[in-house]
Amino acid sequence: MATDIQQTTTRIAEIIINELKLEDVTPETFDADLDLVDEIGIDSMDLATIALVLRDEYGIRIDEDDYPKLTTVRIIAEYISTKLAEGK
Amino acid sequence: MKTVSSLLDADWYERYKKISRLNIRSSIYDVTDRCNLRCKGCFFFSSGEHERAAEEKDVAKWHTFVEKEMDRGVNLAILIGGEPTLCLDRIEAFYKRLPTFCATNGLIKVPRDRFPDMMVGLSLWGDEEDEKALRGQDTFKITSANYAGDPHAYYLYTITPKQLGKTEKIIRKISDIGLKVHMQLLSNDEDVNGFSWKPEELVAIREEMDAMLDAHPQTVISSKYYHKVITTGKMLDRTFGWSECPSVTILRDNRDPQPKRLTNFIRWASDLKTVHRCCTSETRDCSTCKDGAAHMSWVMVNKRAHIKTAEDLQNWIEVYEMFAKLYQFIPW
Repeated sequence: MATDIQQTTTRIAEIIINELKLEDVTPETFDADLDLVDEIGIDSMDLATIALVLRDEYGIRIDEDDYPKLTTVRIIAEYISTKLAEGK
Repeated sequence: MKTVSSLLDADWYERYKKISRLNIRSSIYDVTDRCNLRCKGCFFFSSGEHERAAEEKDVAKWHTFVEKEMDRGVNLAILIGGEPTLCLDRIEAFYKRLPTFCATNGLIKVPRDRFPDMMVGLSLWGDEEDEKALRGQDTFKITSANYAGDPHAYYLYTITPKQLGKTEKIIRKISDIGLKVHMQLLSNDEDVNGFSWKPEELVAIREEMDAMLDAHPQTVISSKYYHKVITTGKMLDRTFGWSECPSVTILRDNRDPQPKRLTNFIRWASDLKTVHRCCTSETRDCSTCKDGAAHMSWVMVNKRAHIKTAEDLQNWIEVYEMFAKLYQFIPW
């Protein structure tokens, strides 16, 4: 389970790096606890784009109402794991 | 990797955090097709938008419509016209439910017992001479009497080329009655002789707007970066136009690639069914559009493009703060 979460965390970091075209960082060096709004400057449109990629990749739907809660890569990874476990 | 806190000192970072999660989702609503003025250069009438749809007169339908807009995620209603204050019941349908801004010529005073804290933007097109030439009367005389000292009202000063060298007189008049002012530029949709901007005039008015902000920081709600963007049509290395505008109605946005844009933005006609292309005139040439809100929004939706240098990010923060103040998301 821990490995799964780690893999998901790394993959989400990779998606965010690609979608936001972040420079000088890799999925492995991305701080999973970095606040995406306060530090990366992500906005709701960025989150919507990332949510679509995650939906396609993991087959889950991220409710728009949940966006404000998804503040770090680690929290997103845990959110996805929970959704997958619930079969959503 | 550039992070926000790596670019800002503690004070700027605090300012950033106060606005970073506001998540403002606005849409614009034509409240009526009628107006009690007919200003030369008004985009609504000059483009024939007042004839596009017959206004919905059943107030109950306005209430239902606003509920649906809230379900769509709208958290800021920007009411325009025609003249919205001709239809206070329709305004109330919005005001009772969500943060509401009413753009008005100010000739009819919004009753404060009914709308105690609704932000009101009072249009002003210059000094007495310009107001009479473009609008048929000097509205300031009436609007200043209606709204002097009102903490929930400010002037939307549409500057024309003929106002060069005269803006301070206007701003002093506004300051004297205890109101704030936000500056924007006339787009001259009706091609009124002498009211179209020449390049050298845009350079001069930018300097003048900067000077007004420096001289009257308590009265002028603005930012020098906004002045730069609206007078040059440039942001970072990009040029404003159709391919960049953030204020295109989502239902009519077929641009590919899609630029950064206002989430789910729609400008509704007053029949509550028809949508307009964008926040301003459908017939306007986007390459010469001077719409203030569109240019502000252009900066705001492009936050990440400004996370490059401290100066860029501070510029973005100032524009976002300006918008948030004008629509009461943060205090003056």
